[in-house]
Amino acid sequence: MATQAQGSGPVSAVLMAGLAGLVISLAIAFMNLLSGGHSAFNTGSDGVSWGLPVVNYVFFALTSTGLTLVSSLAMTFGNKGWYPIAKRCVWLSLVTLVAGFASLALELGHPFRMLWAIPLNAQLVSPLNWMGIFYAVFLVLGILKFMRIHNGDWNSSTSKQIGVAALVTELLAGGMLGMAFGAMAMRPMWYGNLVPLYFILTAACTGAAFAMLVTYLSYGSEEAMPGQVRSLMQGALPTAFAGLLGITILVIGYRTVIGLWSNADGLQVWDTIVASPWFWIEAALLIGAFWLLLQRRALALASVMVIGGFFIDRYEFVIGGQLLPLFKGSWVPDLIAYTPSTTEWMLTLMAFSIVLVGWALGERMFNLGAVPRD
Amino acid sequence: MEILKKLISRRRFLQVSGAGTAAGAAVVGSGGVGIGGLSTLTEAQAATVDGNTVVTKSICAQCPARCGIDVYTTNGKVHAIYGNAGHPIANGKGCPKMHLGTYILYDPDRFKGPMKRTNAKKGRNEDPQFVPISWEEAYQTVADRMNALRDKGESHRFGLFFGRGWGATDVGVTLAPMAKLYGSPNIGIGHSSMCSDGSVLAKQCTDGNASYSSYDYRNANYLLIFGANFLESFRPYNNNLQVWGYIRGEKAPKTRVTAVDVHMNQTLAASDRALLVKPGTDGALALAIAHVILTEGLWDRKFVGDFADGQNHFKAGEPVDAPFTEKWTLGLAEWWNVELKDRTPQWAAGVTTIPAELIVKTAREFATTKPAIALFERGAHNHSNGVLNGMAIHSLNALVGSLFAEGGLAYQMGPAYGPAPANPDEHLDDYANNGPHKAMARIDLKGHEDGYMFAKNMLQEVPKNHLANKPYKMDTVMFYMTNPVFSSPDATAWEKMLAEVFVIDTSPFPGETAVMADLILPDSTYLERWQDAPTYPFQGWPLAQIRTPAIKPLYDTKTFGNTLIEIGKRIKGPTSEYYAKLDNVENILRHLAKGFEASPGDNGVNSFESWVEKGVWYKKPYHWRQVRGEFFEWDGQGWNKPMSADDVKKNLLKTDSGKFEFKSSYLDHKRDWVIAKTGRDPAKFNFPHWEEPKHTGSGDLHFVSPKNAMHAEGRSANIPNAISLMQPTVGGRKHVCAEVHPSVAKAKGFKDGDRIRIKSTLGEITAIARVTELTRPDVIVLPFEHGHWAHGRWAKERGSHVDSIIDNQSDRISGMANYYTGKVSVEKA
Amino acid sequence: MAKWGMVIDLEKCTGCQACSTACQMENNRLPGENYQDVLYYTEGKQPTPTLKWFPRPCMHCEEPSCMHVCPTKATYKTEDGVVLIDWDKCIGCKYCMIACPYGVRFYTDEKALIEPNIKQVFKGDGDLSWNPPYKGPQQDPKHGVGIQPNGVVSKCNFCYHKISKAPKGVADLDESNPELVEYVPACVRTCAPKARYFGDLDNPNSQVSRLISDKQGTRLLDHTGNKPQVYYLTGGGAAGSAVPGTRSNKKA
Repeated sequence: MATQAQGSGPVSAVLMAGLAGLVISLAIAFMNLLSGGHSAFNTGSDGVSWGLPVVNYVFFALTSTGLTLVSSLAMTFGNKGWYPIAKRCVWLSLVTLVAGFASLALELGHPFRMLWAIPLNAQLVSPLNWMGIFYAVFLVLGILKFMRIHNGDWNSSTSKQIGVAALVTELLAGGMLGMAFGAMAMRPMWYGNLVPLYFILTAACTGAAFAMLVTYLSYGSEEAMPGQVRSLMQGALPTAFAGLLGITILVIGYRTVIGLWSNADGLQVWDTIVASPWFWIEAALLIGAFWLLLQRRALALASVMVIGGFFIDRYEFVIGGQLLPLFKGSWVPDLIAYTPSTTEWMLTLMAFSIVLVGWALGERMFNLGAVPRD
Repeated sequence: MEILKKLISRRRFLQVSGAGTAAGAAVVGSGGVGIGGLSTLTEAQAATVDGNTVVTKSICAQCPARCGIDVYTTNGKVHAIYGNAGHPIANGKGCPKMHLGTYILYDPDRFKGPMKRTNAKKGRNEDPQFVPISWEEAYQTVADRMNALRDKGESHRFGLFFGRGWGATDVGVTLAPMAKLYGSPNIGIGHSSMCSDGSVLAKQCTDGNASYSSYDYRNANYLLIFGANFLESFRPYNNNLQVWGYIRGEKAPKTRVTAVDVHMNQTLAASDRALLVKPGTDGALALAIAHVILTEGLWDRKFVGDFADGQNHFKAGEPVDAPFTEKWTLGLAEWWNVELKDRTPQWAAGVTTIPAELIVKTAREFATTKPAIALFERGAHNHSNGVLNGMAIHSLNALVGSLFAEGGLAYQMGPAYGPAPANPDEHLDDYANNGPHKAMARIDLKGHEDGYMFAKNMLQEVPKNHLANKPYKMDTVMFYMTNPVFSSPDATAWEKMLAEVFVIDTSPFPGETAVMADLILPDSTYLERWQDAPTYPFQGWPLAQIRTPAIKPLYDTKTFGNTLIEIGKRIKGPTSEYYAKLDNVENILRHLAKGFEASPGDNGVNSFESWVEKGVWYKKPYHWRQVRGEFFEWDGQGWNKPMSADDVKKNLLKTDSGKFEFKSSYLDHKRDWVIAKTGRDPAKFNFPHWEEPKHTGSGDLHFVSPKNAMHAEGRSANIPNAISLMQPTVGGRKHVCAEVHPSVAKAKGFKDGDRIRIKSTLGEITAIARVTELTRPDVIVLPFEHGHWAHGRWAKERGSHVDSIIDNQSDRISGMANYYTGKVSVEKA
Repeated sequence: MAKWGMVIDLEKCTGCQACSTACQMENNRLPGENYQDVLYYTEGKQPTPTLKWFPRPCMHCEEPSCMHVCPTKATYKTEDGVVLIDWDKCIGCKYCMIACPYGVRFYTDEKALIEPNIKQVFKGDGDLSWNPPYKGPQQDPKHGVGIQPNGVVSKCNFCYHKISKAPKGVADLDESNPELVEYVPACVRTCAPKARYFGDLDNPNSQVSRLISDKQGTRLLDHTGNKPQVYYLTGGGAAGSAVPGTRSNKKA
């Protein structure tokens, strides 16, 4: 095992910030959830059933998929130049998935019941069933894979097979998550057979953004990076990322225009989305990041912008699909007015904090910068 | 989440246990056995089977129709109410309000027993600081006050005001005699002038019946509905809904319906034609319809009569002098000459805003699609010209011969009750017969020259007169089933009066009157008490229903009838003997039921026991019928016995002339007073005629505050489930919204959902605006449900108190409070 | 085995909401938690606006999308054609609420529509999310009957505690028949204009089958493929003709 120089980045600071975020978010969230249960959420049967905690889940679960994709470039597809961030990405794919699950668990009515009820009753035609299975399987495979590479086994056939299996389950899981939305013909804002692809594409973007961000955080600056890392960060990574992001921006643009153009009942949500400043903030963040990536400048900032932009995108997708109430008549207005509650925001803070703490601990304990010994 | 909640609920449980029972008081349990050992008392257990369920026949209390209900009680808990299948009004069915009964019974804000006030200061924001007392102390306190007043010769200064209480066991036997025995003209002032006296007087002035009508909808082919929300609030609501399903869904031919109102409501929406009329102008519309009926020769000649030469001489704008021979009506030609000849559809279009061609169409349909009924309620008569509007509308029934006809309308027969346990006339002392109260006017100046000569009651005038010391000041007032501090026009005037007098409230609920009360004698709620109720006008034939307690009172409450009897027993002199004979409500009911022995009901009810078992006694048919201008009486087989003109006058058309009077002799009896007080043209003051309504206030919008379908006799405001369904047509589900037209919103610069300020001469309230095309551009609609400043945890401070900005103006003839005649202005709040 | 279904005659429906309040009473629903709701729609302009309404229970679909998406099979279809929720299996993921085209499902733990929250006034113990004194005696979590525990989804169950006790082989549960009245769903039993009928759709001689045939009963949103077992009689129009498109529902 080649040991790279320990990064000089602000790992401790991130750890402290993450811990602080975790303590604050958990304290507030638990206090509110204990006293009021899910009435601490602003979700309701009249409209938005899946609120911000589900947005968190979708965001982080897909980020996990994206990170697995990034790590696979080296480990499965043999692009050796990507090795310096591979272990970090594998670790982070586990951490982000845990962060997503944590948010979802606090959103579910009976998270512990889920553990036995899904396997024992498996509804084979439910996308959620398969999504749960695939993400659960990935969690196991991801842990196995990480243990392998942590112990220096990067390239044994078993290690490779585990890696391939992990990649496949992550793609299936992310795709299933897309299908959970895309199969909903009664909600035209979501409906479409390309939604799984859209999810995987955007997953890759957030995966790449996290990969880039934590790599920066690990070393603090490009100067502090080992050569291999620096060349990746100044070459293949931003280039590939820019290409990916550019295509994704186009896809988002077309989705939006199609939504605005169509007269179908339910798609008027797009009018509301576009009328919101958040849509334009998202556009500015993503286009700005694309430009920075092309310039290969301020990459940490670019990755933060991508993370922010896609968080908005996830929010608009998950919430937007529910804003038009189904058969609620005069009881509710044309579109649901939904703003996440403090408790819901605390779950977002919690999920991000889990990622920060998880990454920092990993950085401290598992030498995430390791690359295979050639 | 579940696991977290489990933890917390366990922790809470421990806290509650430690704190004793106080914290758990919100959860009430009857814990008592069922009435008469009917119900099986076992420990509550999951998935209880039907064997433990007892069904009690009772009667609903959510509207005056009083449907028979089946009350389901399992293990001492009432959990379901359905219509009594054997009850002719309910027929096993329910309206939306019927199912609210359990919430009322288990209302957590109910009073738990009698109490007295300990805070001498009174006001909205003064905590009365009630302390529990015994019933004995409560009765004696009231009796002492009454006795003291009587000793001073001031018994008239004791008043008892009531709302929806009727039936022999509260007003018939216990309340009315109290006025006579004790000696006060103010015992038994009802709320009818705030209810619907406008229609009662309109009928009294024309056909001589001081009553609401009974209707034979099922055989009618045309309904013309003015200001009565047939599918949301008109009674008997449950039966109206049943009728609607039949006449619109099954009957051949389908009954056609035209409905007139000031905003699009469910009745208008479900009708064939909706006429959105300018408020207060229903009479103009009816007059124009009458005009068309006459000019086009569509009147019922067999009932009304005809010109001697058989030609139609009614020509618009031209008086008639050709002789007209009237049969069952009086004054048609004269009416034409003084009024109708100029009431053309074109004229009415200018007054009502309804296009003339629609008026003509409606008139033709109404007069040619017989049997046809013109019916009306508060929307049409809650104005200064209310009686005139009502008379004009009711005259349409005469013109098309619907009175007492199959498919027409008639009046209600009373039940075959046995005599009460005691006769008050045998217990009158000298004071009762000759005391100073005999010379006293009623506090509401009903029947007084300075007040309202024709009115039945003038409850809304009480605070005004009291505060003005005219005719005098009250000393002690008692309330039963009415809360005028909330529901009266200019409601806040009551607060000033009640601060000055000793107030006894008998409501089981903490309403505004209770906040002002010195003594609380809580009634048992309707599922806990005995009571009877002869039917509200329904289909004419007699019907009497009985309320049997489904469970014993949850708390230390007493049926109002028994409270009154107990007070009566403590009044000095022979009054106490009378009430001792009454003994209690159940005893009265047993006596009343004796009448059924000789006159068993169609369902076999012939005793108290069978009455309780079936919940209702009734005896079809209605005894009289008009067929093509001839009247017949039921002879046991059919309407075969021809009636003489005298029979008709005695039983049906109870006017001086024994006919339907377009020219009202009833008004003519007080001709000078009417002309002096109303300024009406002496030539037409006693004919149905058009008079501009005198609107109160000076704003640009008519303020209309209708009753919604979910209004369960004053209690819905504190029933969360009712609140959530209160205003479905425009989506008011946490409170009611003010319905305003988009043009108003645009002009005043507010949007749907904005809070707006509604200003009248009396003050202002705020409400959430619902900008909707359902409402006329000159009207703002705000249902009266909310705006309580007491009344329970859910009612308090929800919505706006509409009656605080409605001026106290009444129709000088009927005394009907003009709830819907105010004009207001609105602005963004 | 019967395939229970409902027929609602929109020409007779008066929009009174007695179905909603009867359901709330029978099934102990929270304010706003209308298993059976009536929806109202406004279109047009003065002086000719239209006001329409549309009563909407659970459609108890032949192909229920809610059931297909439920990862734990907590939502299931009984042999007699009723879509139910097993509260012991429900994990509260709310995917069924997302997937139901008719918007008829409710999650237990939400902000109260009406404050103060009645669940806090009549507290439950967790197995019952609240426990009012007027609670009905029936409690059957396996069939989603009674008051739901915390953290689960609930919905109209066609008053399963009633209909499941009906004598076998009955063509229609007709409330006017004293022998059957106790087995009739609350909304059907109370419906004053008699706009509702409940019976066996598989029995061609049932009244519901007869009405669907005679009056061209149609189903709401048939294009979703859910195939409701609730049919509407519309006097000729398509089911949901009372339900305007959402785009035309713009407020001024």
